[in-house]
Amino acid sequence: MTPNEKDYMDRYIYQVIRRLPKAQRNEVRMELEELISDMYADKGSVEEVLTQLGDPAEFAKQYQNDQQYLIGPEYFETYLWFVKVVLICAAVPILIVSFVNAFSQMAAITSQNAAPAIIRAIAEGLAAGIPNGLLSCVSAFGVVTLIFAIMERKKVQLEMKKAEKWSVEKLSEEKRVVELRWTPKFLEPVPDKKAIISRGDSVVSIVFIVIFSVLLIFAPHFFSAIFTEGETVTTVPIFNLDQWGTILPIFVLSLFIGLVDEILRLVVGVYCKLVMISNIVCGTIQIVLSAIVLKVLPIWNPNFTADIQLALGDNAESAAKFLTYWNAEMVSNGLLFFIVAITLLEIGTTIYKTLRYGASSKK
Amino acid sequence: MGEEKDLLSTLLLELRRGTLTISVLSQMKEPKYGYALVQILEEKGVAIDPNTLYPLLRRLESQGLLESKWETSSAKPRKYYQRTEYGTQIYEQLKAYWQNLSAGMERLLREEEA
Repeated sequence: MTPNEKDYMDRYIYQVIRRLPKAQRNEVRMELEELISDMYADKGSVEEVLTQLGDPAEFAKQYQNDQQYLIGPEYFETYLWFVKVVLICAAVPILIVSFVNAFSQMAAITSQNAAPAIIRAIAEGLAAGIPNGLLSCVSAFGVVTLIFAIMERKKVQLEMKKAEKWSVEKLSEEKRVVELRWTPKFLEPVPDKKAIISRGDSVVSIVFIVIFSVLLIFAPHFFSAIFTEGETVTTVPIFNLDQWGTILPIFVLSLFIGLVDEILRLVVGVYCKLVMISNIVCGTIQIVLSAIVLKVLPIWNPNFTADIQLALGDNAESAAKFLTYWNAEMVSNGLLFFIVAITLLEIGTTIYKTLRYGASSKK
Repeated sequence: MGEEKDLLSTLLLELRRGTLTISVLSQMKEPKYGYALVQILEEKGVAIDPNTLYPLLRRLESQGLLESKWETSSAKPRKYYQRTEYGTQIYEQLKAYWQNLSAGMERLLREEEA
């Protein structure tokens, strides 16, 4: 073998083994050196040998018998559906908000400048909406994929533990294996129709969670009182945007936990202990986080009343009437009560359905 | 056309996969190194690509059907594979199953021709 041919062989082997687990590399390298030199002795040309062996990536694939994937076939269909729903929910509101923003800042339309003004507003809407929309889609995709990947890992670990148990039993029986045969007794009862969790049940909460998260992250100013007075548009944000950096993470964490719970529900697909426990834990955390956001953190814009009065000016009368109803403390309490009530209702429903119809031991 | 070819090659691959294991096991009573096995199988009309065979040998070893030894006494180190006792047991069962199956297949296909 000429040095040049030896170099080709080394390159080829490197391309195969770099795709394999570290523990196998050295051994496979030696095997391939043996193979290629044997084939070379037979054919007389390294180029011919390597051509016959074909693409090193394909060769490496033959060595990788373990299935490696992030999200397995069992979850994949649910995952795809989830990604679709989440991407739509992440993109559409951002685009809408961007257009609303652009149009609300548009100069007053007169008959002469109508067309350019509208085109300009559309361009501005697109310019703001597309990058933000993309960013929110990527984040939403990442979050969903991460949750599914973690579930896949956990499930895989469960199955591996099961397999280990069996092999220990096998060993104790002195290699003569008494196979754990599948019998019809292994069949789980068909879950009661009312115990099945359908996508339809979850879609509302998923859409709500994603749209709300996206708006809170990318367009908190969307939650504003908007006044138009002639040509000027005044917006008074409801939230305390100065403190947004501390408030937002907790808000989003709470929504994220809700999303985890929804995904788990859909993946399991039937009311059972696991779903019930997850629902209770996630619900409790969400209540605690909501209480922190609403009662501890300065979530509301402290100047809300003052700003509105300023914005309204002449129409102070109607404003005064409205403002007597605005009481941050009361709004917080009301919202918290609302959230607690809804969460408890959901937990209650889950517990009821699990105990009444659910398969008590899914695993 | 391309699709049809793809389908055919996928089906052929599936059909071959199991037979390769029996072919390899059948030749491993005596220790052999990889490329010698490639040549023997080719001579006997059951050609197998080296890039399929080498990973297959490793897999059969990890399943306990084959065992391997590096022969380092000669100038060129070679890895020799041989059937284990367990491998022989499995091979005998596979062989019996195969003979049964191929007799059955033979009947089926002849029926089709008639």
